[in-house]
Amino acid sequence: MPTVVLMDVSLSMTRPVQLDGTEEFQRKNLAVHGLTMLFEHMATNYRLEFTALVAFSSLWELMVPFTRDYNTLQEALNNLEDYDKTCLEPALQGVSNIVQQEWGSTCPCQVVLVTDGSLGIGRGSLRHSLSTIKHRSEDKKFPLPFPFPAKLYIMCIANAEELQNSDTLDNLEQLLSLNGGEGQIFTVEGPLCLKNVQSLFGKLIDQAYTPFHAVLRCGNLSSDVQVFPRPEPVIMDEEVDPAPRTILTDLEIVGFIEIGDISSPPVLSRHLVLPIAVNKDVDEMGTGTTDETEEENSANQMAGKSPNFCVLLHGSLKVEGMVALVQLGPEWYGMLYSQADSKKKSNLMMSLFEPGPEPLPWLGKVSQLGPTSDAKENPYGEDDSKSPFPLQPKSKRSYAQNVTVWIKPSGLQTDVQKILRNARKLPEKTQTFYKELNRLRKAALAFGFWDLLKGVADLLERECTLLPDTAHPDAAFQLSHAAQQLKLASTGDSQYAAFDHNITPMLTDFSGSGSSDRDRM
Amino acid sequence: MKMFSISHKTAFVVDHCPYMAESCRQQVEFDMLTKNRPQGVIPLAPVSKSLWTCAVECSMEYCRILYDIYPTRKLVNFIVSDSEFHILNSWNQADQSTQELMAALAAVGPPNPHEDPECCSILHGLMAAVESLCKITEYQHEARTTLMDKADRVSNRGRIICITNAKSDTHVRMLEDYVQETIQEQNKLAISSDRLMQIQQCELVLIHTYPFGEETLVSDRPKKEISPVLTSEVHSVRAGRHLASKLNILVQQHFDLASTTITNIPMKPTLNVCDQEEQHANTSANYDVELLHHRDAHMEFIKSGTTSRDSGLKETVTLKWCTPRTNSVELHFCTGAYRISPVDVNSRPSSCLTNFLLNGRSVLLEQPRKSGSKVISHMLSSHGGEIFLHVLNCTRSTLEDPPSISEGCGGRVTDYRITDFGEFMRENRLTPFPDVQGSEVAGKVPLERAKRQLERHTRYWPMIISQTTIFNMQAVVPLASLIVKESLTEEDVLTCQKTIYNLVDMERKNDPLPISTVGTRGKGPKRDEQYRIMWNELETLVRTHMGSSERHQRVLDCVLACRSKPPEEEDRKKRGRKREDREDKGEKNGKDSESERSWQESERLKAALERDREELAEAEVIKDSPDSPEPLNKKPRLEVEDVQPAEKAKGPVSLLTMWTNRINTANSRKHQEFAGRVNSVNNKAELYQHLKDENGMDPHENGKAMR
Repeated sequence: MPTVVLMDVSLSMTRPVQLDGTEEFQRKNLAVHGLTMLFEHMATNYRLEFTALVAFSSLWELMVPFTRDYNTLQEALNNLEDYDKTCLEPALQGVSNIVQQEWGSTCPCQVVLVTDGSLGIGRGSLRHSLSTIKHRSEDKKFPLPFPFPAKLYIMCIANAEELQNSDTLDNLEQLLSLNGGEGQIFTVEGPLCLKNVQSLFGKLIDQAYTPFHAVLRCGNLSSDVQVFPRPEPVIMDEEVDPAPRTILTDLEIVGFIEIGDISSPPVLSRHLVLPIAVNKDVDEMGTGTTDETEEENSANQMAGKSPNFCVLLHGSLKVEGMVALVQLGPEWYGMLYSQADSKKKSNLMMSLFEPGPEPLPWLGKVSQLGPTSDAKENPYGEDDSKSPFPLQPKSKRSYAQNVTVWIKPSGLQTDVQKILRNARKLPEKTQTFYKELNRLRKAALAFGFWDLLKGVADLLERECTLLPDTAHPDAAFQLSHAAQQLKLASTGDSQYAAFDHNITPMLTDFSGSGSSDRDRM
Repeated sequence: MKMFSISHKTAFVVDHCPYMAESCRQQVEFDMLTKNRPQGVIPLAPVSKSLWTCAVECSMEYCRILYDIYPTRKLVNFIVSDSEFHILNSWNQADQSTQELMAALAAVGPPNPHEDPECCSILHGLMAAVESLCKITEYQHEARTTLMDKADRVSNRGRIICITNAKSDTHVRMLEDYVQETIQEQNKLAISSDRLMQIQQCELVLIHTYPFGEETLVSDRPKKEISPVLTSEVHSVRAGRHLASKLNILVQQHFDLASTTITNIPMKPTLNVCDQEEQHANTSANYDVELLHHRDAHMEFIKSGTTSRDSGLKETVTLKWCTPRTNSVELHFCTGAYRISPVDVNSRPSSCLTNFLLNGRSVLLEQPRKSGSKVISHMLSSHGGEIFLHVLNCTRSTLEDPPSISEGCGGRVTDYRITDFGEFMRENRLTPFPDVQGSEVAGKVPLERAKRQLERHTRYWPMIISQTTIFNMQAVVPLASLIVKESLTEEDVLTCQKTIYNLVDMERKNDPLPISTVGTRGKGPKRDEQYRIMWNELETLVRTHMGSSERHQRVLDCVLACRSKPPEEEDRKKRGRKREDREDKGEKNGKDSESERSWQESERLKAALERDREELAEAEVIKDSPDSPEPLNKKPRLEVEDVQPAEKAKGPVSLLTMWTNRINTANSRKHQEFAGRVNSVNNKAELYQHLKDENGMDPHENGKAMR
């Protein structure tokens, strides 16, 4: 989930903070201090997160495009200048554009708005934007809700008491509800000082940037892993099952499936599965100072040299072209596979399926998947030539079963033509002739289209008269037999118009001297 | 997403009254001229469909699209109405198919034009539809039973689609009022029944249809709220193709569908796309095929507002066919897969496309762009006879350029047993089993069995080649693959025993073993030391399975009996036999406690052994690198000291402990002798050199032998 930091650089941010005894701070300094802490946290514990920095006042500017280089972000943060008044709406529109340009409209994002809570006055103020929200034309809509799934975290460099004097909190809450309630407003507890701002950003970190650690297991083999980005809770049906589902920290592999069999399944999200050192103080170590980094490096080197299950699993999945099915929670599954990027690097990746007992129709119910050794004979064949997948659905879809649709005249004409084509090739095509004839008959009966039956009967009778002298005598018999049967069906007489009844070829015998025209109905 | 939205239940009510037998007054030529027809034949008179035929075939088309895209959970109840109502199917999933409905419709037949119009009414059907909406579906029932006390979360909503020929707007109003009243009545009845549910929301879609060329007596009206429970809309359409396109639009609205047109489909015979039965085999052209699917497949377009409008009302997204290159198996990053239904199912282009896909090929679809790079945003692919439109991710990935796995933990280790684990994965592939009722109770849920199998197969599974001897030996394979089984046959035990005897044989012949020499200087351990390591490992493997069954235990017994022993240990065998006798007696008294204790014992032993082994491996790996930290080598010694007292500290000594202790003493004695022997062969200076170099290795080996 990429992050956009939206930093208020309006003049009000330069308001000094009263602190007795110590040097004087501006609110901006406090905000920078908090963001520095956030960036440091991300650089060590969340370093794959892409972050962009946008500064805004009456205008907005993308200071740092999406990057994982937290030094650049920090540098830009330290060099922010002060500008005029606060106009939030265009800034939010800017964020929306920046995110869509970079990640499209399906990638979930986090927006961290850092402001002092004075959201402008008059035109361009948030209050003004919100009051006009219902009277907008289509092209000037308020940027929230964002077109992409977004969490909006509002960091107020102000405490709740001073915000209560204005309608700021109401406006911000309205902003959140416009975003579908996704996000949170944080205010400073107690007096404004470095310590309280630290705890403010600490809350944000706890809420949104704690790494997700889990144990990946395959029977007795296991590895500690970080799953990045953090899997977010999912709500399936807000009516029947409104509780959000979260994935377990114990990820259990339940078995393996070939890539061809799982065949590009739809997934909710994708996550890197990064093995982490078992030694707990290795990954939690270091706030970025140099000697600690060295220590960390050597610790990493050590970790690099002790065998890790993730690496083994990744290697085999890659070589074999398989995926591991992994259980994420009750009736929730995902898959692990090797993902190579363009630079020949590859990684262990986990995709989450939609929660539910049967996420992929072609696998069937996941709980009904079992070991091949339980099957009477190997479903993959002794030489791996077969596969039990995909599972065939109980009923065929319309396009797979030669349905009859006569909504367009061409549909009906094609079906009549098929019968005629086969009629001219009797008796060789007797089987197909009757097959097509019966298909037409069934549809005509179902649609109550008896006139068509009569029409086709006439058509066949005429064909009979047009038969060339060279024609096989059987052709004439079959044609008049078929015509007669259709006529009978068109009366609606239950004896002849039964849906399940099929017109069978007339039994003729031209091998001997006499012909028998027994009708085997 | 709501499971029980209005679209969960659709009641179709089609008018079967005498006036529906009237012609729609649109003629269909069915006697077409073909080139090989003799001259001078007058074509037969065209036929015309009745209003009934139009209504039925359009509603069947509605159902066809619905069932293609939602094979389950979206249910149709088909009702026809004349002097009474005829319910053609039920809400049961098994009844949901167009074939079923067609058969039932054939039984009903066309309306009888000579029936008394006074007795016939659409009201019978509407009443039946409301009653039917109150009936609980199997899905609602299932949800209610699983939710128990929260059963009220399961709602009951539905839609009635009524195709009729109304007389006037007042007539329509009367129909609406009738439905409203019936809902009220039925809801009262439903309170007191288990199999009925009150209707919370009902959407009435009245379609007035009339012959071509006539003036309509009923006006269109958009959706209007009749009551909090009932909304109603009126569509007035001419029969025939107008009715068909109306129902096509409705099915899209009712089920959140959208349309995609695949353009540029080549139908060259070389591509094998088309069946060559028809005459046009030598011509090639590009065709378009329109598909319907859930509109979420267009999420990206909807959000960015780039849906293109074709011909007025119709909204479709055009995507370009990309001729598939190979049949390579690739795992695409796909964010959604939606079932499709062709709009024109049996047109030639449609059936060519669907047959091509059903034969197992996938087609990538490209967004048509005037300039810039090619963007592949969708893929068509069939799975088990169902075609899906996959949505591919075509924006920048937030996971790009991740650190390679070789840079992380365990990334520097080069001798993973990749091939062996691949084999392990093949053995643990999953396969579907039929859903048998009551299987949960017996603990036979297939997935649970799969997990159990994984657990068994990984009880002893060294990850790297240098950590193992036995898994590098072809001779061990039969035993290693059998011992992980849940139960062994007599034959399996025999095979295992044979494998063990074979190893004994190898040892006698002094065959070389594939012991890893990684990290050791010189030639590595001596031959008998190699065998000792091998037997230790084999014992570890078999021991982890000894609790599985009595036959597994017998394999372990065989290993213990056969593994190499120093000569003076011959008498131990006799005692061993005695022990077995005693164990037999013991079995009668407290079999359970005995086995449990021995299991604990073995577990601890295993754990200790494993720990040692890991240390050993680590030590080996680290030694490989010149800049490895020195102090770590001291660890194993501590470990060994830890283990020893723990075993001695145990209170009442079990037979197994006695036995193990004996072996330990024997082994340690043996080891000392070994040291002496080494001493006598080599000179002292070299020995100390060796110890100094391999500091940590030797004590470690010692420690192992001590136990």
